[in-house]
Amino acid sequence: MPEAIQIKNLSFSYTPGKPVLNNLNLEVKPGEKLGLIGPMGTGKSTLLLHLNGILAGSGMVKIGDTLVENRSLADIRRKVGLVFQNPDDQLFSPTVEDDVAFGPLNFGYSREEVAKRVRNALEAMSLTGFEKSVSHHLSMGERKRVALATVIATNPEVIAFDEPFSSLDPSMMAQLLKLINGLQATLVIVSQLFLPLLSCCDRVAILNKGSIMAVGPAKDIIRDDELMRSNGMDLGFYKKACRAFF
Amino acid sequence: MHKLDPRVKLIMVFLGIVAMVSETPGNIYPFVFYGAVILTLILLSRIPPGFVLKRLFFVSPFIIMAALFYPASLMLAGEYKFVNPQAEAINIGLSIFLKAGMSIILLIWLISTEKFHALLHGLRKLRMPRLIGIISALMYRYVFILADESLKTTRARDSRSPGKLKMNRIKVYSNQMAMIFLRSWERSKTIYDSMLSRGFTGDFKDMKELELKRNDILISVLIVLVFLSIRVFIEPGA
Repeated sequence: MPEAIQIKNLSFSYTPGKPVLNNLNLEVKPGEKLGLIGPMGTGKSTLLLHLNGILAGSGMVKIGDTLVENRSLADIRRKVGLVFQNPDDQLFSPTVEDDVAFGPLNFGYSREEVAKRVRNALEAMSLTGFEKSVSHHLSMGERKRVALATVIATNPEVIAFDEPFSSLDPSMMAQLLKLINGLQATLVIVSQLFLPLLSCCDRVAILNKGSIMAVGPAKDIIRDDELMRSNGMDLGFYKKACRAFF
Repeated sequence: MHKLDPRVKLIMVFLGIVAMVSETPGNIYPFVFYGAVILTLILLSRIPPGFVLKRLFFVSPFIIMAALFYPASLMLAGEYKFVNPQAEAINIGLSIFLKAGMSIILLIWLISTEKFHALLHGLRKLRMPRLIGIISALMYRYVFILADESLKTTRARDSRSPGKLKMNRIKVYSNQMAMIFLRSWERSKTIYDSMLSRGFTGDFKDMKELELKRNDILISVLIVLVFLSIRVFIEPGA
């Protein structure tokens, strides 16, 4: 069985001479939940955009057995769903229903099938009854769930999340974690918040200076103080605070 | 009226505007009848007159300018033979004012009785060029981004400038405007990426198919006939 995601020697730069991704290599197994951590501005979001073919650098990106290239974009976008950091960037239609239907309609499903997918996606996100709501009238937690529903409705093999846990209160975060843990797809989750990653990811990869510095079981990576510190993530403050308060 | 098929509304409004603007310059009398039809449409649609007037107020400076300057330009250019210059110029100005004003009221009726995306759907079904459809749909989406960014930057400005601005106002406002456009541009790029990631290839697809009902056809034919009858049968200066 091929890897769900296979990246080899991927390099990319927005401006010449300043590579954001630098000979990056990564493999993710089918059904795996991989956390991606690293300091700000090290290319985590840029890497996610490569999975869906929005950006194209040099090197190889493969989703299952499909190479990410211009002629396979339609197929790739069916296979990979992106959940953007700010749900407002993902919700642009007049109603929640229209937003969730946007992907399935573009992928050419019949209207009956689209209606069924919309219904199922909203139900899975506990959003039944929100069909006719206007997205920007919803709370942040609801908007995040709608954003996830827009991706789930297309039933992708891989879902890439960009900072899904930011701006959420603890109960909403717990709700989102439950939803994420219930997903069957292969997940890549970029987050600066380590605790939720620990509770949903099998493995964690550290991305620093455009390359993967370490990959391993989530707990082992995050417990390794030396590794974390050398990659610009000092967790000393969190550890002290946890010991003091809990 | 709100439930009419958007295609039918678009055709009605288009033909209504064509009938009105094709009236002979200076011919004011038919506008009494056009006005009556438009007023009936507004009342039947239960749109508050204040709502229509408020929107008309925003565009009225442009209409007044056209109504004032067009007759003046005709007189100066000498292209139009005036017998009684003052009265004829007033008539031409007034007819321009009525043509533009009533066309705009008809458009206000259209946008008040139909959602913008439904109108775009209707236009697509009426074979509007694909590129214009995409540009209109994207522009409509991006208007909200501009408004959102404008609100955020205004809050940021106000939070650091209690009361009156003490700095050079023009500089502050122009910097803010530049920032709004830059941020909107960045955000619209991200939104476009999110559309691409969900298979967008340039065509907006709609979840519901439009269905033309018998009532839609009957009402629209009736209203179009009224507009055309006014245009054909009400003589200039009757």
